[in-house]
Amino acid sequence: MERIHTILAIAAITFAIGAVGVIVRRNVIVVFMCIELMLNAVNLSFVAFSQSVGNLTGQVAVFFVMVVAAAEAAVGLAIFIALFRTARSVESTSATELRL
Amino acid sequence: MELLILGVKVFVLFNIIMGLSSFCTWFERKGSALIQNRIGANRAGAYFTTSIAPLRPAFFVVRWLGILGVINTLLCDAVKALLKEDFVPEGTSTVMHALGPLLAVLPVFVAFAAIPMAPAFTIGGVTILPQVAPIDSGLLFILAMGSLAVYGVAMAGWTGNNKFSLLGGLRAAAQMVSYELAMGLCFVTAVVIFQTLDPYQMVRQQAGSIFNWGIFSQPLGFFILFIVGMAETKRGPFDLPESESELVAGYFTEYSGMKFLIFWLGEFAEIGLFSLLLAILFFGGWEIPFITLPEGLWWAALVGHGVLMGKVIALSMLQIIIRWTLPRFRFDQLMSLGWKVLLPLSMVNLMITAAVRLVIAQG
Amino acid sequence: MSVTIAILSVCMLISAVSVVAARSPIVSALALVGNLITVAAFYAAMNAHFLAAVQILVYAGAIVVLVLFVLMLLNVKGEAGKKSDFILRVGAAIIAGFFLLTVVPIWDGWLGLSNLSAPEGTVRAIGKLVYTDYVYCFEVASILILIAVVGAVTLGRRARIPNIASE
Repeated sequence: MERIHTILAIAAITFAIGAVGVIVRRNVIVVFMCIELMLNAVNLSFVAFSQSVGNLTGQVAVFFVMVVAAAEAAVGLAIFIALFRTARSVESTSATELRL
Repeated sequence: MELLILGVKVFVLFNIIMGLSSFCTWFERKGSALIQNRIGANRAGAYFTTSIAPLRPAFFVVRWLGILGVINTLLCDAVKALLKEDFVPEGTSTVMHALGPLLAVLPVFVAFAAIPMAPAFTIGGVTILPQVAPIDSGLLFILAMGSLAVYGVAMAGWTGNNKFSLLGGLRAAAQMVSYELAMGLCFVTAVVIFQTLDPYQMVRQQAGSIFNWGIFSQPLGFFILFIVGMAETKRGPFDLPESESELVAGYFTEYSGMKFLIFWLGEFAEIGLFSLLLAILFFGGWEIPFITLPEGLWWAALVGHGVLMGKVIALSMLQIIIRWTLPRFRFDQLMSLGWKVLLPLSMVNLMITAAVRLVIAQG
Repeated sequence: MSVTIAILSVCMLISAVSVVAARSPIVSALALVGNLITVAAFYAAMNAHFLAAVQILVYAGAIVVLVLFVLMLLNVKGEAGKKSDFILRVGAAIIAGFFLLTVVPIWDGWLGLSNLSAPEGTVRAIGKLVYTDYVYCFEVASILILIAVVGAVTLGRRARIPNIASE
């Protein structure tokens, strides 16, 4: 009983920390890492629920979240490099033009 | 009791790793000297024993160890490295600097935990599996730990705080990441063949006839994994990270003393790890052809362990001999070999293997 | 509460805070690796062995390596001392507060969760599910990855960007 609740609470707190990071930090790569943090918090609660319900579907969902995160990383990092080429910085405040 | 058994297992495993890397260190020095027609390390012995008559036999042994270069390479080098100055470049934190060698060695040592070293045996009513962590998906665990070794290299390059070691670190990290794909596909092919992820079960399936060995069903897989192994350990013709004459040594340029030696320890432990994996996946692990070792007897476990170590040492020696025979690749050649040759080859290999497996299962 | 879970929770929170708070992005990335490995340990503690291995392999072994690669390649320094706007900080605090409110129903047991242990998340079980019930998702995911690869290559190509010459 206790264990699932602890893990869910930890996941919620980590999600909140990640959300704060996304809002407060200006370095886009750090923002990206905070998004990964939030995704992981959600994944953790997926697995906790999967154990609680007694069903493996939650774990399959986590698997697909990982696939999407990998795709996101590939495109996101390419965008960061393109941003750095045009703006000479990776701060989100420097991305003021709607083109790369 | 269980904790005690686990402790003994860890202790024995640690000694196996250290023994393997010591052997590789020695053979790297002495064997390379032999290949290049040099004399190599050959003069260090405890001459003080000559004057005392009863110690003459000991003197004889020590002298031969010295002539074979064992004392130089294992004892003298370690002492020298310990006494050297521990240099930290300006502008980096000491902790980050120390993290590089740590992260390079730790995952390799952890990966050893999932490898079985001998058949299970029973002593005093307790059955012992000579595997520190009997994980059900052991091969996946080894692959995951192997992928973590990149961090040590990248951190070492970054904490060097100069362009050359940073570029060297990135070069080495790119090399390791690119070759990991082909390695993963080779592992998947082996899993398709053996229908399990547990290395222990894989070895069990290769018992009996020599044609049960993985190399007969997967010759291409062995070939690819052997090349990939040499690239992952940054050895052989793929040793660009340490080419000091043309590329300024790469990521460990700014390391000295024991930290530098720890990188080498990690590299030699990786050679041992890859040789173990090759022996387990393709050469029947501890099984002797046409003899099935009985499970549960302590002497069988001992014999099995000896056989496995023999295979591992032969494979490690082969890797070192290749390293000292072939010239280095250029970096673009290395990348195109990894992405344009090995990756498609291993994909085709996987598809053919899976198709054949399906046909066999249907028919 | 078992000791393992307690230790893992502490590690998880410390590493999560360091990702957000570290001045140097490289330290953030390393803290993220620590966080990911902690999550993998959580998975292993919940018998999801396949996910634990894939978590380390995909997240720690590939995604964060790429992030670290980009950080080192661009030589990104820490943010230049200016603090973010006051409004942003207040907004962040409010949003974090809302998310933290979700902890309340969890602790009060409104969800009626039990501790049934799931069937073990072995490779065989997960693989069977992915290749039977979720095979269309699997195919779509593979197409998504293909699109991502093409997109990354297109974005990364130098020739398409005329601005480079003017800098």
